[in-house]
Amino acid sequence: MSTLQHYLVLAGLIVGTIGLVVTLLLLARAVGQTRAEAGKDVPFAGGTLAPKPVWVRYHVRYYGVALLFLAFDMEMAFMYPWAVVYRELGLPALLDMGVFLSVLFLGILYGWSEGALRRQ
Amino acid sequence: MTAATIVAALLAGAYVVAVLEGWATTGRFQPGAPLVAGLALLGRESVVPRRPDRLLYETAPVLLLAAAVMAAAVLPLSPELVAVDLATGALFVNAAWAYVMVALVMAGWGPNGAYAMVAGWRFLGQLIAYAMLIVMPIATVGMRAESLATTAIVSSQVGLWNAATQPIGFVLFTLAAMAVAFIPPFDLPTAPGELAGGVAAEYTGVRLAIFRLARLVLVVTLAAAVAVFFLGGWLGPWLPAWAWTGVKTLAVAAAMFAAGRFVPRLRAEHLLQWTWKLGIPLALFNIAWVGVTLWWADR
Repeated sequence: MSTLQHYLVLAGLIVGTIGLVVTLLLLARAVGQTRAEAGKDVPFAGGTLAPKPVWVRYHVRYYGVALLFLAFDMEMAFMYPWAVVYRELGLPALLDMGVFLSVLFLGILYGWSEGALRRQ
Repeated sequence: MTAATIVAALLAGAYVVAVLEGWATTGRFQPGAPLVAGLALLGRESVVPRRPDRLLYETAPVLLLAAAVMAAAVLPLSPELVAVDLATGALFVNAAWAYVMVALVMAGWGPNGAYAMVAGWRFLGQLIAYAMLIVMPIATVGMRAESLATTAIVSSQVGLWNAATQPIGFVLFTLAAMAVAFIPPFDLPTAPGELAGGVAAEYTGVRLAIFRLARLVLVVTLAAAVAVFFLGGWLGPWLPAWAWTGVKTLAVAAAMFAAGRFVPRLRAEHLLQWTWKLGIPLALFNIAWVGVTLWWADR
């Protein structure tokens, strides 16, 4: 198969997935309708009515780790091509990447010492 | 044709995994239960919560299912039985799994319910915990195979499985795979008994059936990925190739459920601390370990 055919198959799988879901939804609708009754559509909130909409500002308590994560996620973009050619290039490639990874690891240690890994 | 076979295998796998999960959580072996539960959900009312973000609410289960199917498309059952043998297969599964987080955050935001919202943001934190432990072990697997094609990764394990040559990566990847599929003890986004179902709390009827199907397919893809990347995929004596991948996949799924049964749920911040203070240093050590051992072998 050519690469184009690969992506056609993947697109076909997505279309098939959506088709399956739509079929199930239509099937359920054919079996019976949802009856509109008072209070039924209130989101669950442990027995109380949620007074406000919940789309409010949320304290993301892991933001310190999230910042570190960004650095590591970028690093992976370099890791994958490097991993494929690693055995060709040998130990110098490991040292090159080792320096890069050490710098990132020092980032973790620094963040850890500053309390970035704690719940904020 | 191959793609159709893969989809059929995926659905069969999802069914067996549903039975296994029921067995692990209730302690009873009920081979008919997933069918009964699925049909019952189809017949039930599917209530949409008031004032939802309708687009996100409806898209989330479909996106979760599509992400899982995309991941399955590049994982080989046998050398021939792979829907698409992409040269970047190992990278492609990562990309597909990344959408698991997107789908769950959408499912959390969409219904406009407090518990779902908390669960969605919590899973974003869980992604930050598990993501590096997914990608780094896959990179070391690619180092050994000199390729990111999943079939090449299996072929590279003819002599010895990656689970034996990179045990740290194997353990980290398996635990991270459990976190992707929110299998206990990493079931923070659904958290039964605490968030009342979390991201799935506001889904009922047919929509819940789709959500659960998507989650089961996701478990199959993750177990299959452990089998393909670390347990030699189709390699093995006597049985046909596809049977080996199937047996290994189901064994991994069963082990994941069995392990989750005996461990209490981790708190979100404890999960982050374990992964960043212990998991990622170990993953980095794994890269160095694999690098040195490969260099020693190729010397």
